[in-house]
Amino acid sequence: MTKATLMKAIRRNVAGYAFISPFIIGFLVFTAFPIVASFFYSFTSFDMLTAPKFVGLDNFVTMFTNDPKYWKSVKVTLYYVVAVVPLRLTFALFIAMLLARASRMIGVYRTMFYLPSIIGGSVAVAIMWRNLFGDDGVINILLTLLGLDAVRWFGNPTAALWMLIMLAVWQFGSSMLIFLAGLKNIPPTYYEAAAVDGANPVQKFFRITIPMLSPVILFNTIMQTISAFITFIPAFIITKGTGQPLDGTLLYSLYLFRRAFQFFQMGYGSAMAWILLIVIAILTLILFKTSRFWVHYETKEGN
Amino acid sequence: MKKKLLILLSIALLILLAACGGGGNANNSDGNTSSNQTSGGSSGGGSGGGDAPKNVTLRIAWWGGEPRHDYTLKVIDMYQQQNPHVTIEPEYASWDDYWTRLAPQAAANQLPDIIQMDLSYITQYGEKGQLADLTPFLGKEIDVTNVSESAISGGRIGDKLYGFNAGVNALQVHFDPAMLQKAGIDINSIPENWTWSDFESLSMKAADAGIYFSTGLKADVFFNYYLRTQGKRLYSPDGTQLGYDDDQLFVDFFGMLHRLVKAGAIPTPDITAQIKGLEDDLLVKNQAASVWQWTNQFIGLQQVANRPLEMHPLPGPNQSTGLFLKPSMFWSIAENSQNKEEAAKFISFFINDVEANKLIRGDRGVPVSSVVKEALIPELTEQQAQVFEFIAWAEKNSSPGDGPDPIGAGEVIAALESVTEALFFDQITPEEAAKQFRSEANSILSRNK
Repeated sequence: MTKATLMKAIRRNVAGYAFISPFIIGFLVFTAFPIVASFFYSFTSFDMLTAPKFVGLDNFVTMFTNDPKYWKSVKVTLYYVVAVVPLRLTFALFIAMLLARASRMIGVYRTMFYLPSIIGGSVAVAIMWRNLFGDDGVINILLTLLGLDAVRWFGNPTAALWMLIMLAVWQFGSSMLIFLAGLKNIPPTYYEAAAVDGANPVQKFFRITIPMLSPVILFNTIMQTISAFITFIPAFIITKGTGQPLDGTLLYSLYLFRRAFQFFQMGYGSAMAWILLIVIAILTLILFKTSRFWVHYETKEGN
Repeated sequence: MKKKLLILLSIALLILLAACGGGGNANNSDGNTSSNQTSGGSSGGGSGGGDAPKNVTLRIAWWGGEPRHDYTLKVIDMYQQQNPHVTIEPEYASWDDYWTRLAPQAAANQLPDIIQMDLSYITQYGEKGQLADLTPFLGKEIDVTNVSESAISGGRIGDKLYGFNAGVNALQVHFDPAMLQKAGIDINSIPENWTWSDFESLSMKAADAGIYFSTGLKADVFFNYYLRTQGKRLYSPDGTQLGYDDDQLFVDFFGMLHRLVKAGAIPTPDITAQIKGLEDDLLVKNQAASVWQWTNQFIGLQQVANRPLEMHPLPGPNQSTGLFLKPSMFWSIAENSQNKEEAAKFISFFINDVEANKLIRGDRGVPVSSVVKEALIPELTEQQAQVFEFIAWAEKNSSPGDGPDPIGAGEVIAALESVTEALFFDQITPEEAAKQFRSEANSILSRNK
């Protein structure tokens, strides 16, 4: 490459780099640097007030062999993820199928169903959730009206965790939109052909909709699994940062936060974060590996 | 279209640059101190030096609720008017947010110049070299002519003074006489020197009437008081283990509370967890007859409840060995501060200025300056005066405090709250709770060896 063409290439790209510079700078400062730093801290004992001390694998050893609360938080998080991801996806798909039908009010409905996701991660919603599920809250009033017993949402560890799960399921909007786009891409001719052959709606759903939608399902499953693993704000606000009752809502990231920022153990917190990253990476890989058994790509079959 | 995008991009860039620049500014601010301002003749209380003062910017951080934020900002305004060369940037938050913000600031060497400090964190920050020793400022920038040595010593760790006592506190029971009446208890029938067994039988009486006797006893605070009445402490003096050897003490105290929770005389932890603020307090909502807390909290509770409340000493026996006076909070100066002298002058103003304290009105504890205390008494409402009287009484009927908590106290307290919660939910027995707490607490504290 001659000098002139090189200069030309740079000149051609400089505008592009300028345009993405806010992201690049932000990424380097607020994402890349903290990632590298936390990797270093995970091998140290670091209380944030004095310089980090190198301790080798101590943090990891303590975590796995000598911290019952760590395992408690792992259990709570797995329960949460296993409950949230399928529920949220099923719910999202169900609503998306309803919305896929043409209707005049469709725009309004879409906005309304998407709304919880926009405000979902916010502090205000978590506070509202606290009130809804309070001992004299709306949920308990409804349960009593239905002739059921009121639930002590803040007194029972499992009930408290379900309170968080329901909050997460309620925020199905982003998965729903992606499903909706996927549904719109299924050629109507398939359904017409099936109708001619006399297929009923259940058959159509399992033989056409699900296979055609499987790439989107894979995408949504992975994204939602990751976001479920790192859920923090709702648990933090609803339990005032304690993970009560009886550590029933002590999600992994909440425990990590308590260790790092409340107990001055930034090294331990960083080690926890790296383990979480590795676990998520492995699970994502497994999901990808299984995908060839159940995900259908149109182009592949066309070959 | 392209033009619009360019404008949008420029704005985004500007915001980013401004955000980055903001951090740098604070560092550079003492670079432009060369431009001396001829401060007018209004040099503030005792701070009038010889030469013209340089312009300084001080950052000050505190935790608290809305009323405290309001009057503290007014005190800052007052100080800035009297000292035009000083600009004060306030940073305030609620208790929880405050501590989660302070730790990263310390890590970044960006602690505010003046920091409101608590007994349970002062060792952590002090021993790790984050706080300045205030001893050199005593009698110079910080006027201590009217402050007793015992009040100052509350902030000493070893031979270093890491925080200046902002006011004095003691533990109390705050009764609502009308609620007691509903439970068939005459407040005048409760003697000053009541005992834990009186407490238990009165509690049961209230529970029978469907009323909580108490809104709950904060585990670490009142267990420590109980231990003190038995001649023990929660933490050993060197802070490397628990300060009591006999788990029976734990079993006696929390076994009693456990019985009261089961009887309905004290709310279960899930009820307490749903309380959002003072307006929500069970006493304020006419569901409980007493709140167990610090003296300075009486004023706020009284205001929100808006009906006569009465204060009462904690149960005995050995009330006076158990009771202690405690600095409600401290004013500390960050070791990384560039303007320690100016920060010290502000602390002196906060402690000694009568007009400023007419705004503070004992919200940060009863003032440590005898002059301020006397000047305030005619200004106080009847209720506020009660607090001052109680502290005066407690000065004669208490024993020395335990000093600052050891490093890791926050984690020990969390462990204690976690086991007592399990106990109150009937997951474990008092004996198991005692054992579990001992092993967890000692493993946390042994790191201090």
